[in-house]
Amino acid sequence: MIRRAARPSVAAMTITTDVRHAVVAKGLTKIYGQGDAAVHALRGVDVSFATGAFTAIMGPSGSGKSTLMHCLAGLDTVTEGSVTVGDTEITRLSDKQLTLLRRERVGFVFQAFNLLPTLTAEQNIRLPLEIAGRQADQVLFDRVIDTVGLRDRLSHKPSELSGGQQQRVAVARALISKPQVIFADEPTGNLDSRSGTEVLAFLRHSVRELGQTIVMVTHDPGAASYADRVIFLRDGLMVSELIEPTPQTVLDTLLKLEA
Amino acid sequence: MLKTTLAGLRAHKLRLLLTSLAITLGVGFIAGTFVLTDTIEVGFRQKFTADAAKISVAVKPKDNPEAQEAPTIPADALERIRKVPGVADAQGLLQGPTPLLGRDGKAAGNIPTTAISVPTGTLNRVIVTSGDFPARPTDAILDENTAKTRRFAIGDTITVLDTKGARNDFTLVGLFDTGVNQNLAYTGAVGFTTDTAQRMTGAKGFGEVDVAGAEGSDPARLRDAVAAAIGADYEVKTGSQLADELAAQSNVETSYLTLMLLLFGLIAMFVAALVIYNTFNILVAQRTREMALLRCIGATRAQIFGSILLESVVVAILSSGLGLLLGLGLGAGAMAGLDLLDAPVPSGAAISLTPRTIILAVVIGLVVTVGAALLPARAATRVAPIAALRSQVEEQTFKAGLVRTILATLFLLAGTGVTIAGITMDGGGGDALIVIMAGGALFFLGVLILSPVIMRPLASFVGWLPRRLFGVPGSLAVDNARRNPKRAATTTLALTIGVTLMTLISVITATTRATINAQLDAQFPVDYMISEQRGPDSRIPRALAAALRQSPEVGSVIQMQRAEAQLEGSGTEKFQVGNFPASPDFRPQATTGSFDGFVPGTVALVDGTARSLGRKVGDTIQLKTEQAGTVTLKIAATFDRDSSDLAPITIPQAEFDRYFGALDDAAVYVNAKDGVAPDVARRAVEAIAQPYPTALVVSSTEIRSEFEDALDMMLMIFGGLLGLAILISVLGIANTLSLSVHERTHESALLRALGLTRPQLRRMLSVEALLLGLIGALIGITLGVVFGWSAMQTLPFDILFRAPADLILLFLVLSGLAGVLAALLPARRASRASIVDALAST
Ligand SMILES: Nc1ncnc2c1ncn2[C@@H]1O[C@H](COP(=O)(O)OP(=O)(O)OP(=O)(O)O)[C@@H](O)[C@H]1O
Ligand SMILES: [Mg+2]
Repeated sequence: MIRRAARPSVAAMTITTDVRHAVVAKGLTKIYGQGDAAVHALRGVDVSFATGAFTAIMGPSGSGKSTLMHCLAGLDTVTEGSVTVGDTEITRLSDKQLTLLRRERVGFVFQAFNLLPTLTAEQNIRLPLEIAGRQADQVLFDRVIDTVGLRDRLSHKPSELSGGQQQRVAVARALISKPQVIFADEPTGNLDSRSGTEVLAFLRHSVRELGQTIVMVTHDPGAASYADRVIFLRDGLMVSELIEPTPQTVLDTLLKLEA
Repeated sequence: MLKTTLAGLRAHKLRLLLTSLAITLGVGFIAGTFVLTDTIEVGFRQKFTADAAKISVAVKPKDNPEAQEAPTIPADALERIRKVPGVADAQGLLQGPTPLLGRDGKAAGNIPTTAISVPTGTLNRVIVTSGDFPARPTDAILDENTAKTRRFAIGDTITVLDTKGARNDFTLVGLFDTGVNQNLAYTGAVGFTTDTAQRMTGAKGFGEVDVAGAEGSDPARLRDAVAAAIGADYEVKTGSQLADELAAQSNVETSYLTLMLLLFGLIAMFVAALVIYNTFNILVAQRTREMALLRCIGATRAQIFGSILLESVVVAILSSGLGLLLGLGLGAGAMAGLDLLDAPVPSGAAISLTPRTIILAVVIGLVVTVGAALLPARAATRVAPIAALRSQVEEQTFKAGLVRTILATLFLLAGTGVTIAGITMDGGGGDALIVIMAGGALFFLGVLILSPVIMRPLASFVGWLPRRLFGVPGSLAVDNARRNPKRAATTTLALTIGVTLMTLISVITATTRATINAQLDAQFPVDYMISEQRGPDSRIPRALAAALRQSPEVGSVIQMQRAEAQLEGSGTEKFQVGNFPASPDFRPQATTGSFDGFVPGTVALVDGTARSLGRKVGDTIQLKTEQAGTVTLKIAATFDRDSSDLAPITIPQAEFDRYFGALDDAAVYVNAKDGVAPDVARRAVEAIAQPYPTALVVSSTEIRSEFEDALDMMLMIFGGLLGLAILISVLGIANTLSLSVHERTHESALLRALGLTRPQLRRMLSVEALLLGLIGALIGITLGVVFGWSAMQTLPFDILFRAPADLILLFLVLSGLAGVLAALLPARRASRASIVDALAST
């Protein structure tokens, strides 16, 4: 599926020399507003995310993490630069095409308000497939449900689930359509540490077992340490990265950045 | 706290405006009603005062209910008035029916034109708009409308029939305006000099004498002097008294208009109250967190309550003010419309905005808005401070409480009971109808209370098709329609009110139409009816019927005669006696007895007459005839007054001439010969009737279409007036929807992120609105049909119940469309919203 060989980037080279990339961004610039009021949220970010890898994005508040993620996912327009998801250049796509791209190839987990309150957990999980008019892969569905450990909660409405369970439903929903990449913006931001750990373990599990590609924004060094790789943003630029991070190395890098 | 509320209001100007619109429309309608009727009343008063300024004293004959004919003022009384000291001039006024012949030689219109006397000098009140006043005996003037429709111009010769039916030619010298005289506007009017008018109408005296006092005379003293001169048989008033009296009379008439319009205004206000109630409920629900936060930082319940009420007061004042402006516009527009239609209302009066209108508009706006916001405000005080800490806003769950169920059951039972009582009430009629209306109102309140419970099943039922037709957006829409049954219920019931009343009226008109048509078929199986334009006291020469019988195009001719006679033992009371030809074509329905035994020596009575005489079938009555003395007749049948055209006392035709002599015909019924084309037959009948200018030929289809036009007109007027309530309810749907969309910003963004396209999102919202519209219409149609049926049961005769399927289907479709229309803007906004912004906003 993904034929395009990525431009050898520092990150890719350090893992393997012939890696496939789920998402590639080049010279990504995002400016909000105009003239004096212009905010340079991204100032030319070059970054690629390897297929089957779990990448965390970190950085101080306002450094452009969410903006980067929105641009990568086709939720927001970019001012300059290109974004390629799989083999599709997405910055020139129409709204309709972007919608189809999200429907077919991108999954999302947000910090909150992830689920439709009118639907049960199971209906929420199947929703992307319903929208796309696709049949669920029953084997995958069972596997996802068992991994999430929500089989006895499938008929519950979101209001009857705990925050952690809600997030796990959201992750299950993102997984079910086998997207090329899942974007998660602070998926554990609203959770206590135990529920947070559940969700993170589950995310890593889906990368390892299902070969899923995940890009996650987080503020928590502990959460970042679940990832294979951490990239650091500051003032709209990618300034550093860590492979095989531990909470300690992440914290050290953050401290260095803020200094 | 005040600052917080005001800041909140400022932040949501658009929302405020949309909410206000419902009340604005309702208040506007009510204010408009008052502006219109006040303006009309002021106009009347100005007109009457201006007229009265010319008159010092007016003399009218006293009403005498015993007298056969309306009393008049004889010529010698006028002479006596003229001789009273201080009287400068006195003029007698009179009027009477004098058929004007149209250019085709037949009497113009269905009712004879009214002749009026046009006095000379200062006492004249007739306003000639072009040409001259009639001065010579051969002069006549016509009212502008009649001249226009009958295509007469000044200088033409017009022919008018006098009371004996003789033709009189006049020269048309001028045109005049009938002004505010509704009667003249309806019949059309022709003006003559007083002498000519007297000759033409055959009037024995005057209907009114107007007196102008000499320079500087005191009207009150003159009145007394005139009264003394002519005696106690007359009412003598000063000019200003006359103006007061006329103004009071016209006010009674306008007050009917006011009442009817207000009724619709109140319906609209009720709908608006529902919309406001719903809006505030949603606003409170959406601001749960804000409210909880305020409570957390120390706001008391009373402060929260106050802040919501304050918001409603601001909305009320704003919308009442706007409503008042709208009312002014509506009133002025309606006045202009009436002018354009040349309605007999005074034109030219300045649009009147009285303090009463202003106060009423503001009070009604305040009471309804603040009243509707009370419950939501109370709900707001129940928000627990802890709610501020919850991450996800809780879905409003709804459970059918015991109180609600009991209350709803009580209302529904009471409504059903009262309605059944109304249906089975003795005699039916207006009282029964009012009872049924009360039952309907009670039942509706029951439905209102119960509606949140039935909303979910209804939404599932109505949503069955959309779920299958529209895929994911369809089923999401059905879920959304079901998720907040209370909100959905109030939204849809606002629409239900309009649909119920529309259905009710269409059922009533359809049933009336079918019933009357069937009656016409049964009782008048004739093609043409010939009657006298000058009314039931005039006669058609028998020669016309004889000529008709000779015509090859005519199949059968039925003549009916009328006379008046007394009954032995019933004092001096005179009864209408008519006859009835034994003909297989013409067979009325008997309530008791039968027309089979209707042979010479028997009689048929109207039910009411039989009852008041205390007789029944088999008994006898003694009729005092003119030529055969008192005859004893056996009652063969009684019949319903409304079901036929027969006289209260009807005897077989063979006997009539023997009792009353060969009287001319009161009516002639004609059937065309089989196989003769209707237009051919019509031309033949009209040609035969041509020498009789006042013999009106109407076909049964004309009677029918006239009557159907009247029904259609009624349907249209009611529809137009109810349109406002419906418009408000559609606004309500739009408001609810846009608030819901606002509330679901996150959800919409999530759906878009998951791959729902913009059109799909729009479709989702449209389908939701479609469902709301359809549910509202379904409830309304059911209620309308049931209560329409109930209302028709109060009629004293058998009805043919009809629910017009085409119209009802149209209401359903229109309601659905209205819903979709209401969703247009909210859906557009939702689909345009940027996903990122929507996700970021909290
Ligand atoms: N819609 C917008 N209009 C103007 N400026 C914006 C907009 N969205 C974001 N910004 C600005 O862009 C910059 C980056 O924002 P972004 O949300 O990407 O930061 P972040 O790294 O996600 O921060 P946090 O950790 O607080 O979520 C910020 O300075 C922010 O103020
Ligand atoms: Mg962010």
